[in-house]
Amino acid sequence: MAAVRSTRYYVYRESTIRVLLYLLLFAGAAVMLLPFVWMLTTSLKTSAGVLSMPPQWIPTEWKWSNYIVAWHTSPFGRYFFNSFFMSGMTTIGEVILTILAAYAFAKMKFLGRNALFTLLLGTLMIPGQMLLVPNFVTISRLGWIDTYQALIIPWLASVFAIFLLRQFFRSLPDELWDSARMDGCGRFRFLWRIMVPLAKPAIVTVAILKFIGGWNAYLWVLVMTNSELMRTVPVGLVSFSSEVGTQYELLMAASVLAILPILILYFFTQKQFIKSFARTGIK
Amino acid sequence: MLRRVALLALVGVVALGWIGAAVEIEFWHAMSTYHQENLQVLLDKFHEEFPDITVIATYQGRYGDLEAKIGAATVAHELPVIAQVYENWVTPIQEILYPIGDYMTPAEKDNIIDGLLPSTIYDGIVKTLPFNKSIMVLYYREDLVPTPPTTWVEYVTMSAALTTGDDDGDGFPDFYGTGFRPVNPELFLNFLDQAGGDILDANWTEVLINNEAGIAAGNLVADLAPYSFITNEYMSNHFPNKLAMFIDTSAGVRYNREAAENAGVTMGVARVPAGPVTQGSMIQGTNLAIFDVDYWTEEQKQAAVVFAKFLIRDDNTVFWAIRSGYQPVTKTAYATPEWAAHVASTPDQVAMSAQMIDGFSQILHPAYGDMRNIIATAFEEILAGVATAKEALDAAAAEIELLLDE
Repeated sequence: MAAVRSTRYYVYRESTIRVLLYLLLFAGAAVMLLPFVWMLTTSLKTSAGVLSMPPQWIPTEWKWSNYIVAWHTSPFGRYFFNSFFMSGMTTIGEVILTILAAYAFAKMKFLGRNALFTLLLGTLMIPGQMLLVPNFVTISRLGWIDTYQALIIPWLASVFAIFLLRQFFRSLPDELWDSARMDGCGRFRFLWRIMVPLAKPAIVTVAILKFIGGWNAYLWVLVMTNSELMRTVPVGLVSFSSEVGTQYELLMAASVLAILPILILYFFTQKQFIKSFARTGIK
Repeated sequence: MLRRVALLALVGVVALGWIGAAVEIEFWHAMSTYHQENLQVLLDKFHEEFPDITVIATYQGRYGDLEAKIGAATVAHELPVIAQVYENWVTPIQEILYPIGDYMTPAEKDNIIDGLLPSTIYDGIVKTLPFNKSIMVLYYREDLVPTPPTTWVEYVTMSAALTTGDDDGDGFPDFYGTGFRPVNPELFLNFLDQAGGDILDANWTEVLINNEAGIAAGNLVADLAPYSFITNEYMSNHFPNKLAMFIDTSAGVRYNREAAENAGVTMGVARVPAGPVTQGSMIQGTNLAIFDVDYWTEEQKQAAVVFAKFLIRDDNTVFWAIRSGYQPVTKTAYATPEWAAHVASTPDQVAMSAQMIDGFSQILHPAYGDMRNIIATAFEEILAGVATAKEALDAAAAEIELLLDE
């Protein structure tokens, strides 16, 4: 009898903890989702409803036309293409170059390796804004202003990504290389057939961070391009805002459209995404 | 004299579209939302009138972005032919500004309203033209403020009376008499001018910001602070639910009116309250600058002159003002029937026009941009109550003196 009571107590206690846990998680999820819900509902409000007091959580009048108006305010079709192209190319390029550089710094011995790596890390300390003018001059001298080269080539390498992947490569045992070498495997084959699959979580992290970074790039695109044909989605979003006010309902409609590709990317890569962030410790 | 006649003749030739080859010029601007639509109307009209000149207008982001891009483009020799600029952006590069004034008649120059002209002149030559100029005015809720304040004393008294208690218990008043954006130190510069003060003396050798007038302006800010809703967001995000009146640019009138209408209250516009010396208000907004650089041809620079003069022509500056909330930039524009009709049908505009005539522009010191940042810090410190007016302005003066020494 006492054993049954003890079991019931245990089950009751476990259930209570589980319910509390779910409530806590639900509350946390609600807090995280709130800005997105607000963005979605605001995108369907009239301008009167956007800043009304008390706040309108559900629009009194659903204004679907905000999406059509927002889409036609700027050439968003072109902007989306440019954002995809720029983000995709920089992601592919950076992943390839990062793998090569990180492997060299992690597993190969060459003269000045540590000094070179320290120098690379040192560049992380320089604020990006400080480099804007010199970079603009460089791009201009190369004749790349208002071209895809300007949007893609300077972003094909990232010191942070090299650092991240190098640390991951270093955690893999050197014996792997010894064994592979005994089986007649060369450096290049060893890298792509053994190291890369093992480092998949870190590589996915690098790729995701790069794609999101490219998708959100604003100032660089604005400064390096002049024509509408070369602009990207974030530049289009800013055009809903001026020095004296913002058309919030249109901005939110365009923002919903802008985050859709990132959301779709997340849904398809959700498992890998969570796993990679957990493995690499990136928050 | 002969040279001037020849130059004016050249402008005339370009203006009439008699030159053989079409000219293309790039125009960088920061006009978005409603303003971009209105600018496009003007561009279409220009292209109809001047088919041999093609203006490629490019939106370059907000003012900060445009400033960064012009700065970078100056170094990289990638400037456009013509751009919207705040005075302090181009003061350090005034030697590469095209002397637009040489291609204007004395009557055309005299026609620019008095408060705007000084901010266009470098070394005695008109080198920019005013374009989207606005003026700071007082916006207020008519239901709560039947008669807007006309003096500093009334402004403080009414702000105090309109500020309510803290019923929701969040530690702050539930409703404020007025409000300020600390990122906008021009609000403080208004008070400074109204007290008879200035940042520097006429020769730019002595810092005056912490003199008696400066302290009076600072004390006004300190007196208003307890009754002020302080935010760096647009005031239209909070008006009229959070505050009863505030000083803001006339260019924001559309957003402010929408906010009031959405809340079901009537908004009024009045001149800013007068200080002990003036009822002045700072003119905001940008000018048009043509860049005298060797990678653009003389024809392109002349075409840009034609375009700039087109934009400030009476019919166009009136159109722009009616649609945008910016103010006409020429004296004769205020006398046009279109403008008179607009003022008659738009009561808000009466105060804006009157305020514009009394407006003052920023000084053309090369370090004004840095001075502005220093003043913004002092303004914020006084509003936050972390420094008295004297402490904050003494510190600001010391920093500005260092800039002068440089």
